[in-house]
Amino acid sequence: MRSSSTSRQISNAIFFLGPASLFLLALLVVPIIVDLVVSFTDMSQTLRVESFGTEQYRKIIRPDPDALLGFELRGSFYRALSLTGVYVFFTLLIFNLSFALVLALTTTAIPDRLGAFFRAVWLLPRMSPSVVYALLWLWVVDPTERGLLNQIVVNVFGEDPINMKLDHPMVLIVLANGFIGASIGMLILTSAIRSIPKHLFYAAGVDGAGPLSIVRHIVLPALRWPLSYITVFQSLALLVSFEYIFLIMGASRSTMTMAMLAYTKTLAPDIGSGQYAYGAALTLILIVIGVIAALLLWRLTNMKALLSHPKIEVH
Amino acid sequence: MAYSRIVAAGLAAATLFATTAPTFAEDITIKLWSRADRSGPLRAGNVVEAAKTVNNMLAAADSDKQVVVELIETNARGFDADALDVLKAHSVGDTPDIIVAAHEWIGAFAEAGLAANLEDHISGNSDLYGDVIPQLWNSVKYKGDRYGIPQDSEVRMFFINNDMLRKAGKSEEFISGLSDAVNAGEFTMDDMCDLAAEVVASGAAELGLLHRPNVGPDFQMAMAAFGIDLYNDKEAKLQITKSGLLDYYTWLKSCVDKGAIPADMTTYSWDTVHAAFRGDKAFSKFHGIWNLGAQLEAFGIDPLDKDAYFRKITWINAPAGEKGGEPKNLSHPIVYVVGDTPNKDMAALLVALASQPVPNTKHAVGTNHTPINYGQAAMPDFIERGWGLVAGVPLLEYAEFMPNHPKIGQYNAITFQGVAAVETGEMSPAEAVDFVIEELETELGDDIIITD
Repeated sequence: MRSSSTSRQISNAIFFLGPASLFLLALLVVPIIVDLVVSFTDMSQTLRVESFGTEQYRKIIRPDPDALLGFELRGSFYRALSLTGVYVFFTLLIFNLSFALVLALTTTAIPDRLGAFFRAVWLLPRMSPSVVYALLWLWVVDPTERGLLNQIVVNVFGEDPINMKLDHPMVLIVLANGFIGASIGMLILTSAIRSIPKHLFYAAGVDGAGPLSIVRHIVLPALRWPLSYITVFQSLALLVSFEYIFLIMGASRSTMTMAMLAYTKTLAPDIGSGQYAYGAALTLILIVIGVIAALLLWRLTNMKALLSHPKIEVH
Repeated sequence: MAYSRIVAAGLAAATLFATTAPTFAEDITIKLWSRADRSGPLRAGNVVEAAKTVNNMLAAADSDKQVVVELIETNARGFDADALDVLKAHSVGDTPDIIVAAHEWIGAFAEAGLAANLEDHISGNSDLYGDVIPQLWNSVKYKGDRYGIPQDSEVRMFFINNDMLRKAGKSEEFISGLSDAVNAGEFTMDDMCDLAAEVVASGAAELGLLHRPNVGPDFQMAMAAFGIDLYNDKEAKLQITKSGLLDYYTWLKSCVDKGAIPADMTTYSWDTVHAAFRGDKAFSKFHGIWNLGAQLEAFGIDPLDKDAYFRKITWINAPAGEKGGEPKNLSHPIVYVVGDTPNKDMAALLVALASQPVPNTKHAVGTNHTPINYGQAAMPDFIERGWGLVAGVPLLEYAEFMPNHPKIGQYNAITFQGVAAVETGEMSPAEAVDFVIEELETELGDDIIITD
């Protein structure tokens, strides 16, 4: 006979976790299972499934007895993987982590009102509709002298106009996604910095610590968990993001990351070719990579310690 | 007593009227799937008008049935995207009765069981279809049978800005002889790029030759000029030759190197491409006859002034790849496909009526598409406003169609990747050929024949 408090706990759990669990199941677990199944079929434009097999995977991996692991990756897939790696790594490192940190540190070092203003400015890219944001970027990098970037390059530096979309497409998408990515890190780190007890700063000041020492010894250690969290969360988000890449570069070969490749092969408006099973296979590989990346980063940043029970609390 | 008689009479009358009251009229609903397309609003409109004709006939026969056309107007941005959508609808059982589609999808539609075989319908209604230009039937055939009715066609060409040629120092003789030189095989694809580069270098134009910035039928014309025959009729498979592809990509690369084609051509937007040519910035544009209306407006030429237009613009076929070769052209008909539904007989008849000369001319002249019936060229409206279409007829002589193979969309998407790679300089022509051949082998497998 359960005590009323246990049954209340259970009913509370169902009541509060239920909707979220249903949501997770319907919109996350079920699509993954469907994706898994479809990737082993031959479904294409006609949406009919005629055979089950690994033919989609044979489009990605080619068995080769001479290669290292007994197989080698096909050209376009290998390229998509390497582009994804470059994109995720550099966007995460330069913008989502480093620049977010810089923004958080600087906006908390200046008076509050001014800091809040600059944080609001940096939130604008994230809050703008994605199409508007992409359009603004296209105007900035317009290859003629009218583009904002070229106006500076030509008039201030006296150089020839540059064509970012043609010559430096990866730089362009890292910048465009980075400006958006920096804002979430900035918010999390700002609130973490604000929650550092003020007396630590006073004590450091009394001991003669300069601003850089304060950052190194007081602020950074307190940001260890937020930084780990941002690393794990944002790297997964970047792995699957393609919205801004699609809006700015379209289906260009030079920025065809894994997510873009899957999208281009299936549903992209105007250019999607309805290769649903092939796209499903690519997506499944992306999911597997994501899971491995998440587990690896979890281990490396020791997130487990963050979420474990505090050792000094007694129930 | 009198009351009861009146009531009885009234009741009797009421029952009499009740039995002779009109029975509930059965409406035949025909679902028409058509992309909302500014370059062809009458494609759907003509079917709706055809329904009115049928209803007049039914009323004259004292029938209570009415045909109602339910228009499903999608906002897909292209025919390829729209075709994928209709295949999705078909897969869940929502098959439309009539579909306005690009002809090359007939293969995919027939394989999916979406398109009805119209051979019997066409041969059984020779009075309605007898005047259709015979070559157009090739565009709707799949495995020997016809699965659609051509709705319109067009002709594609290189538009050349004569004013820029004059500014670059070319003589009137050269300009007027250009079209013949192309047709005789003396002016080749390389000569075209040399000419474009010359015009750009002289300062008469900012940009040389522009082509479409996305996947599409036009490239088949250029590939054909280099000897690539996309379809093997005997085996009913797509095909490609490595040497032809190499020649084609080498030509593209040489054009970019000469400055004739911009290196980032494939990243342009359609608006930029149109605006560049219509704004007198680009020397030449590789596109189709339906641009005529917008060009007349942009250049400020009276729509009825044929001479003024051809003084400014020359149309040429895609020149041959080598001297002495043949020029090539591509025609891309839009077709009506009748869905394999219970209403297909009525749907087919509506399509037949919509394909008659009067409705077809209304569409053709208004939107600059070529007619499907011979007789349309004699109609007064056509002669007066359709001079552009009449001028396009000689180009049709060299026209081919895209193959109606289900995987032609993938084929085009992959060869376009090669175009993008070569133009942007990402790959050399030889590397691009290897890459494209590998992708074609992987994705198309047995459906493609690859020769050297």
